[in-house]
Amino acid sequence: MILHIDMDAFFASIEQAINPRLKGKPLIVGSRGNKMRTVVCAASYEAKRLGIGSGMSSKEALRICPSLEFVSAEQGKYIWTSEQIFAMLEGFGFPLNYTSIDEFQMDIGAHPEPLKLAEDLQKQIYANFNITASIGIAKNWLLAKTASKVKKPNGVTLITNANLKEVLSRTPLGKVCGMAGKTGAILSTRGMQTAWDLYLKMPEFFEENPGKFNEEPEKPKSIGHSYTLPRPLENPMVIQAWIRLLSEMVGERLRHRNISTKTIHLWLNGPEIGNFGAQKTFALATSDSFEIYSRSLKIASQVPQKRPKIRALGVTASQLIPQEGLSLFLKQNQREGLIKALDRINSRFGDGSIYPAQVDLTRRVK
Amino acid sequence: MHQSGFSPKARWDMHIPEDSDSAGEEFLNQRIDCLVLFKSGKIYPQRFTCHNKEYEIKTINYNWQERRGQEVINFFSVSTGTDAYQISFNNTSFGWRLDKVL
Ligand SMILES: [Mg+2]
Repeated sequence: MILHIDMDAFFASIEQAINPRLKGKPLIVGSRGNKMRTVVCAASYEAKRLGIGSGMSSKEALRICPSLEFVSAEQGKYIWTSEQIFAMLEGFGFPLNYTSIDEFQMDIGAHPEPLKLAEDLQKQIYANFNITASIGIAKNWLLAKTASKVKKPNGVTLITNANLKEVLSRTPLGKVCGMAGKTGAILSTRGMQTAWDLYLKMPEFFEENPGKFNEEPEKPKSIGHSYTLPRPLENPMVIQAWIRLLSEMVGERLRHRNISTKTIHLWLNGPEIGNFGAQKTFALATSDSFEIYSRSLKIASQVPQKRPKIRALGVTASQLIPQEGLSLFLKQNQREGLIKALDRINSRFGDGSIYPAQVDLTRRVK
Repeated sequence: MHQSGFSPKARWDMHIPEDSDSAGEEFLNQRIDCLVLFKSGKIYPQRFTCHNKEYEIKTINYNWQERRGQEVINFFSVSTGTDAYQISFNNTSFGWRLDKVL
């Protein structure tokens, strides 16, 4: 049996756990710091009840609820919490998988008391992190994930052969994984409203998904990192060091996913230049951080000012293609070997254990 | 079982201080003195002093870590009863900071 854990309004719940003043209040977490010009990336249940949801513009959300609380997202907290939850769940000794930052799957085999286990997990999560999770249990991952959506927040749902029809009949089609978008919309025009309607037409869709444990991660469209400096800086060496660091971060993520990029986008923001953004597409795809850095510098050279003050910057890679195996050039091969070795060291000793010396400059400016 | 799918490993993970309208937060970034209990591998700040004013910590609401290169910063949300603050400890400089009023 698979047990699927889905954290409730994860980012918003963490922010409420951190700041007691936000508890019980409608709250949105925005992807950017500007309250009026961002997108909701998480809404607390108090906000959800008012019809506010992720993907909505913050402006729209504030129109619905003018007293809405706002926090700008800080990934670090969420990733750390996610890792801690993962580590805690690992302690239960079952095979465990991430499916997203706030979803975990456990293969609990033929556990005699799955409901009791689910409640224990919920209790532990709440005791340690002060946030709640909803849990679904079923014979395969898809049903388990669907079950986790049935009672939210803080619910447990077990799907067995006996209650399969009953549970699926009251589950809207859109709550089934993969059915929230276009596919679901098309199927609903053909008269499928609930998960049970889908099951009657395509039982194999639900039956043939034993576990998601070996599935490939979804391919992203772009990978980027940005950073806002503590204050506007104009030393080109330091700016370059930041571009280097961001390029390292982007390159590392590309290599981790075995993809490379053809198009680099650089974004710079500063009091004199406002928002400068430009992209360049190159013939050869790369996942080499230094190459990404060099390409970013080429783009940066298009900035008209000589020593512009920079307040924020970002490096993004798009036109992502699968990494090509062998390189034609020996030198290139040696470099790839070095990069792999560095990545291995970083994953063994913690990210950032080894980094280009240039990046050090980013730490000296406080 | 090998891990596949989402890997949350914080790559070069660091706090991104954006210009923020976040919930009435007041950024202070003050160096503070802190009385701390280290117990079973965990850090429990007890009270801190900022500008000669002493703050007694009643509850630790939450804590998390962020990596900045080789430095690890431990963040704490703490309540003094009336107010909540975010304070942080840098494991390299051993310095404590009052980051903001929550
Ligand atoms: Mg969730």
